[in-house]
Amino acid sequence: MISTQQSSVSLSELNRLVRDVIRENFPDTYWVRAETSDVRQNRNGHCYLEFIEKDPVTQVILARARGTIWANTFQMLSTFFEGETGQPFTSGLKVLVRVSVEFHEIYGFSLNVVDIDPTFTVGEMAKNRLLVLKRLEEEGVLTLNKELPLPELCNRIAVISSPTAAGYEDFCDQLAKNPYGLVFYTKLFPAIMQGEKSEPSIIAALEKIYAYRHLFDAVAIIRGGGATSELNCFDSYLLATHCAQFPLPIVVGIGHERDVTVLDIVAHTRAKTPTAVAEFFIGHLARSFTELVDLEKRLVTESREYLQQEKFKLSILSKEVYHLSTGFIRNQLASIRETAFRLKHLTNRMIQFLQQEEKQRNLRFTHAVKQRLQNEAHGLLVHEQYIRMVSPQNILKRGYTLTWKAGKIVTSAAKLQPDDVIETLFWDGKIESQVKKSKE
Amino acid sequence: MEKLTYSEAKKELEAIVAAIESGELDVDALTEKVKRASELIAFCKEKLTKTDEELQKILDEID
Repeated sequence: MISTQQSSVSLSELNRLVRDVIRENFPDTYWVRAETSDVRQNRNGHCYLEFIEKDPVTQVILARARGTIWANTFQMLSTFFEGETGQPFTSGLKVLVRVSVEFHEIYGFSLNVVDIDPTFTVGEMAKNRLLVLKRLEEEGVLTLNKELPLPELCNRIAVISSPTAAGYEDFCDQLAKNPYGLVFYTKLFPAIMQGEKSEPSIIAALEKIYAYRHLFDAVAIIRGGGATSELNCFDSYLLATHCAQFPLPIVVGIGHERDVTVLDIVAHTRAKTPTAVAEFFIGHLARSFTELVDLEKRLVTESREYLQQEKFKLSILSKEVYHLSTGFIRNQLASIRETAFRLKHLTNRMIQFLQQEEKQRNLRFTHAVKQRLQNEAHGLLVHEQYIRMVSPQNILKRGYTLTWKAGKIVTSAAKLQPDDVIETLFWDGKIESQVKKSKE
Repeated sequence: MEKLTYSEAKKELEAIVAAIESGELDVDALTEKVKRASELIAFCKEKLTKTDEELQKILDEID
């Protein structure tokens, strides 16, 4: 017991021993690769953190060490680091730091950072991004969200943002004061947008939106702009795979200029700032509106033109009808006139013909009558001559005489006796005589 | 009209305008189509520019 007591040392003595051994064996500074964790700054500007190393496959922590960066060093290094990497020195970063190995009797083992190589972090971040992207591609989900069509009417927007962020306000303002009077509906799904907690927080918000997905056309993931801020969480595989497979188009505006995060790559559309996201939605809806106005214009001009053409055709038709009908009437009139003329002409000719005929008939008739009369006259003449020839006068002239006795015609000598007084008629006068004797 | 979505209305509208532009409609059909198209335009414009209070209320009630 006593010997044990004699050989014992106090804690401070032990710690001093350890300190001396460490000092002796680690006299230099060393470049160490590690991941940052639990980074915090105290009032005096000193930075305290944990360095860890994880198994790249299992993510099991293999090593851990406390770290310190004294205020004046930290001020210099953090500015340099941010300038080179585009993001602040925070937890969850893979860093290459030059450290001195310290052991303090009270505070124990720690690594004191004296320098940092930001290119390592940049390279690690890029490497990580590439790995995540490759994995997403292998799983066939990388471009799924990009392939979603943005609906023509895209104005119901689920917003993932920190509720107090200026960027959220800018986003809502920008939508509300759009110059076209377009209507937008926004619903905030609050999330932590900074640091290690952002990944599960954003995923939780996405899951909530998923439950109400039928009420929305798109999702906006926004974060206030301003100073460069931590981007590491937006390279997370888990967040990326959720976003890539989300059934609504996701538009991101996480306020950074320099790098493109995995989230930017898998999202449907990336914009730089929340205001730019709002502009994107306004532009898209304005295009729909313009298309509508164009269709309306086309409708009006086309139908007006069509009606004008129809009207024109109609007027031509009516003119044609007028022309054709007046022409028809004119033709009919002309034809009637011609017919009338011909009728008149024919009638005249007919009359002339008939008159001619009549004349000729008359002529023939007259001629025939004349002929007849002449014939008759001739006949009469013959008769007359005959009659004249046979008339007693003529007979008398030719030497015949008529003999009367007592007023009676004597036709036979036997009727006469001597002494009879007879009257004899000659052609030129009568004589009275007395019969002497009869002769045989 | 109530059951129509914006893109259905828009598609129908585009088809009508295309039909009118093709000049294959007669005047009676044109009148019908123009009437329908005007309704569709009004419907779409309303969707774009008029706040749907009911929808707003539903969204506000999500917590």
